[in-house]
Amino acid sequence: MNDTTDQTKDQSAEKNQLVDPALLEILVCPVTKQPLSYDRSTNELVSQAAQLAFPVRDGIPIMLIEEARDLNAEPQP
Amino acid sequence: MENHETAPFGFKQVSEGEKQGMVNEVFSAVASRYDQMNDLMSGGLHRLWKDDFITDLNPPRNDQPFRVLDVAGGTGDIAFRILEAGGSGINVTIADINPEMLKEGRKRAEAQTFKGEYDFAVTNAEKLAFPDKYFDAYSIAFGIRNVTHIDQALKEAYRVLKPGGRFMCLEFSHVDVPALEALYDAYSYTVVPAIGKVVTGDGHPYRYLVESIRTFPNQKNFATMITKAGFARAKYTSLTGGVVAIHSGWRI
Repeated sequence: MNDTTDQTKDQSAEKNQLVDPALLEILVCPVTKQPLSYDRSTNELVSQAAQLAFPVRDGIPIMLIEEARDLNAEPQP
Repeated sequence: MENHETAPFGFKQVSEGEKQGMVNEVFSAVASRYDQMNDLMSGGLHRLWKDDFITDLNPPRNDQPFRVLDVAGGTGDIAFRILEAGGSGINVTIADINPEMLKEGRKRAEAQTFKGEYDFAVTNAEKLAFPDKYFDAYSIAFGIRNVTHIDQALKEAYRVLKPGGRFMCLEFSHVDVPALEALYDAYSYTVVPAIGKVVTGDGHPYRYLVESIRTFPNQKNFATMITKAGFARAKYTSLTGGVVAIHSGWRI
């Protein structure tokens, strides 16, 4: 419950961006089946072994290889 | 094109690379009206089939942890039924390759309260993002015929199930009552796409659904595929004269 007037972000929209922490713990890389690490700054699930970063959209992890960002493709902006 | 392997998309043969994208378009087009359409097209029968499926799955009613992976779980229909039937120990992970279907599912979930828990993940049935031997049950209802490599999806189901875990599938099957066959043909080839066109403005997604049902293996052949994936005691029950069937197998 945030009453501050300078709050520009919609709280419920922000809440929807967060992934269920219990789900984060169980998800594995669909390629290597190895554990993932969650990168809060990019809101991605990172598979070091596969060098892929899986996006989280609207709070739902997108564990599709074709939607993942290739960590070797280009340096991070 | 490098990939010369083809996969059935309804009655058309399309390249394997194309099939998933085409299936996704079908479901993105119908996501918000999916359950409503199922009601119309099955004359409400899909509810009875799903009730039978849940009864067979028999989720524990106590607080004992019981993890279910509901693949192709889209709008949450099966997951919510499992949560309603089971106790507070139930945890259903609703997985679908289509984010639009999952968003619809989440919207519906937020409007209800359950004793158990649930979460959502976009994942491909052929390349699941879940650990080995993790789930007590794997369910897939009206989903497996849309998968490009069914054998690969079955292998993944086996991998993520605990020993003692159960694979359960509800899917359209082959009508084995001759008198029903002609009626079913007439209904599914003409009435279903026509209703689809009236309600969603497009008959094509529903023509795909009807044709994909016909290219899916019959009860016996699908049971053989389940056995080949490693499952023990693969069995099936035909419902409504074989319009649909429940298949199951155990990881032992």
